[in-house]
Amino acid sequence: MTPGSAGSRPAQRSRGFRGIRWLLVRLGGAIFVLWAVATLTFFAIRLIPGDPAEAVLGGPGSQASQETLDQVRQDYGLDLPLAVQYLNALGRLLTGDLGTSYALKVPVSDLLGAQIGGTLVLAFTALCVAWLIALLLSVWSTGGGRVAAAVGQGIELTSAALPHFWLATVLIAIFSSTLGWLPPVSTATPAGLVLPTLTLAIPLAGFLAQVMRETLLDTLDAPFIVSARARGESERGIRLRHALRHASLPAISLSGWALGYLISGAVVVETIFARPGLGRTLLQAVTLRDVPIVTGVVLLVALVYIIMTVVTDAASRLADPRLRNAEAQP
Amino acid sequence: MHIAPHSRARRGLATVAAATGVALLFAGCQATPGESGSTPVAGGTLTYASGDAEPTCLDPHVGGNYPQALIAGQFLDSLVSRNTDGTIIPWLATEWSVSDDNLSWDFTLKDDVTFTDGTPFNAEAVKVNVEHLKDPATESSTGYLALGKVESVEVVSDTVVRFSLSTPDSALLESLSQPWTAIESPAGIARGMEENCQAPIGTGPFLVDEWVKQDHVSLVRNEDYNSPPADAKHDGKAYLDGIEWRFLPDSASRYAALQAGQVDVIDNAQPDTIAAAEKTSTLAHLDAPRPGASNRIELNAGRSPFNDPAVREAFIRAVDVNDGIESLFFGSAKRSYSPLSSIEATGYSDESLFGTDLDEANALLDSAGWTERDADGYRVKDGERLSLAFPVSTNQSIPAEQSLFEQIQATAKDAGFEVNLSLLDLSSWYGVLGENNYDLVSAPYTKVGPDVLRILYHSDGIIPAPSGYFANHSQVSDPELDALLTSASEISDEDERAALYEQAQKIILEGFHILPLYDQQNHFLLGTRVKDARALPTVSTPTFYDAWLSGQ
Repeated sequence: MTPGSAGSRPAQRSRGFRGIRWLLVRLGGAIFVLWAVATLTFFAIRLIPGDPAEAVLGGPGSQASQETLDQVRQDYGLDLPLAVQYLNALGRLLTGDLGTSYALKVPVSDLLGAQIGGTLVLAFTALCVAWLIALLLSVWSTGGGRVAAAVGQGIELTSAALPHFWLATVLIAIFSSTLGWLPPVSTATPAGLVLPTLTLAIPLAGFLAQVMRETLLDTLDAPFIVSARARGESERGIRLRHALRHASLPAISLSGWALGYLISGAVVVETIFARPGLGRTLLQAVTLRDVPIVTGVVLLVALVYIIMTVVTDAASRLADPRLRNAEAQP
Repeated sequence: MHIAPHSRARRGLATVAAATGVALLFAGCQATPGESGSTPVAGGTLTYASGDAEPTCLDPHVGGNYPQALIAGQFLDSLVSRNTDGTIIPWLATEWSVSDDNLSWDFTLKDDVTFTDGTPFNAEAVKVNVEHLKDPATESSTGYLALGKVESVEVVSDTVVRFSLSTPDSALLESLSQPWTAIESPAGIARGMEENCQAPIGTGPFLVDEWVKQDHVSLVRNEDYNSPPADAKHDGKAYLDGIEWRFLPDSASRYAALQAGQVDVIDNAQPDTIAAAEKTSTLAHLDAPRPGASNRIELNAGRSPFNDPAVREAFIRAVDVNDGIESLFFGSAKRSYSPLSSIEATGYSDESLFGTDLDEANALLDSAGWTERDADGYRVKDGERLSLAFPVSTNQSIPAEQSLFEQIQATAKDAGFEVNLSLLDLSSWYGVLGENNYDLVSAPYTKVGPDVLRILYHSDGIIPAPSGYFANHSQVSDPELDALLTSASEISDEDERAALYEQAQKIILEGFHILPLYDQQNHFLLGTRVKDARALPTVSTPTFYDAWLSGQ
């Protein structure tokens, strides 16, 4: 624990100032990241072959006449120099306008608004389930002797390495085709959420459990655990009340990263289970070169990622006084 | 006419009539009317799971691809249809006649049909639809090209409409039989593109109730339906209460959903699932090859080495196709030796041209000057390796077909050909074709009738469209062939027309411009409770007007 200067007034004031500065730096960073993401996406999608005007006309290989192509290029501003198109797009983004989908001809914000719910529900459910599996697995594998440790480690490594598309197919084969317990394709019911959630949660649980188990083992050797043992606490009590809390800290800060991982996994999972969501939207938009949707989804995911990082950072600062005071130390 | 090549999804138009027996094979437990216990019962909602891309607009006038055709057939009717013999039959039009100069067509229309918004169907409505298709603002590709020779449409009376053409078009009726030129309510069109894309209004057996993007389209029965095509099995409204049209892109989960009873019909069934389904007693298989061209590998005669006919023949003699089709498609695809689909009566086959003969291939290459081989076993001439670029579209070639291409690559190596396969997404693939950076390519093309030959093999098809697309991938440029295809597209006598198309196909096959593989595969699997579903003999899209669910 840090000796710290808690209690003295100047220190408090400067800590408040540091908090605000921390927030401003974060905010500036976030805006920079969003600008960079928007710019990269804008140019990257134009580097791959394919004419965005064809996205408007139903996809590549269109035999549209010159009149039709001209009409579309003019309607969507695609006849302007690239730099002008970029500035126009940036100007629209500044006013919060994500533009209109080339292919679907509806505002991107409406489209994403309708799709983000499904993806967030899936991602957060998967995150919770992954956490639960990881907790149970790490507590069991560190407390059950050598065999449990070896088995636990094996499960962690294997599940962390499972590709989503493979796991999804296997889960469908077992729980839908063979046992008939769960629908293979998503439905509006909670049962439809089970297989997609497990597909995303199992590999993630592998990662989280690895981190938790290592920290748990380190913590169990720490002096404060020894003193807890000396006070006569039960092994289970030590694990649940003391060690696990410490072991969770690195996993908490991993959750921001995990959410990004889950949203990218959603591209595969939403396609296989035919769930509406951002992942499927993105895949279809990239195929069609639907620039406004691709930009919109990428920006939205970047935004979610930034928010999660800021929230987990702030949560860690609140939970762990060492982080808050670290900067104050000489 | 048009095209529509496209992803498993975009294929296009059609043309002429002609004919043929469509191979609609209902396997398994399809009940047929008249059998005991097979009296249709009304009621129930059928769930259809499509593996094709979700359309971006439900109005098939806009763009015009196969996913749009699949669903539009449920809520739109066309002026004419075609039966399994290939004869054009009445639908919204009851009869038609053409002037002596073949430039003026009169269609007599049904007089008691109403669109589902209450607008009457009449000659004025047909005129509005043709004008809609020809207006650049509609952004039509397939329908626009199909009606390219139509100069104007005139209302003769409420029930008679006249099409005036710039040049004779023997494919006009076939073009009008396709879903991309189906008839929509003028009031619906007048709402503007955005609203019309969301829920087009037709005279069909169902109407669009709701479209939840990336999830499903709900179709409900049109209670006043009275305009089925002449080959339908019943009159009046449909038996089904409605259709839930879902988009399930993954083929394994689509099949799992069918097995679990979560959906009733799936499209884009893959060879392995077809084989699995045929072993069950609960699933039926509907094999509905698409019309127009067969699936074939085209040899680019527009650049070296295939500008030498001997090298083209050597390649075709060298590769073994039949074993690959047999093992990779589990018997679901039949080898073709024709440029045209087996459902086109005018198709001409010549199996004798496609026998595998490695010695012959080697002799041909030796005589063509490719005499040396390098350390890797590939032939070399003037320091250049005998290499063939083969871009493959992963949207259009299913995994089994990609594996077939790998086998072709392996057998071509024995004769000293280096085949460089590259798997590309659709836009990149079109990009490579546009740059003439290929020697081999497989590009499906759907269209009703043999006029597809003119699109694919007339030298005009080498000139790129404004978008860069061109249809003549084998880059055949032969004045004799051009003349045959042009006269066939203008002649009115069916027998003479068929004779011209036969000569044209002989030139294409004997010039070793293509390696036919099989029909464009189009397989549906149906759950056991689905009865009397069939594919329309136009572009082979399923129709559920006669369909009913047992056990309702």
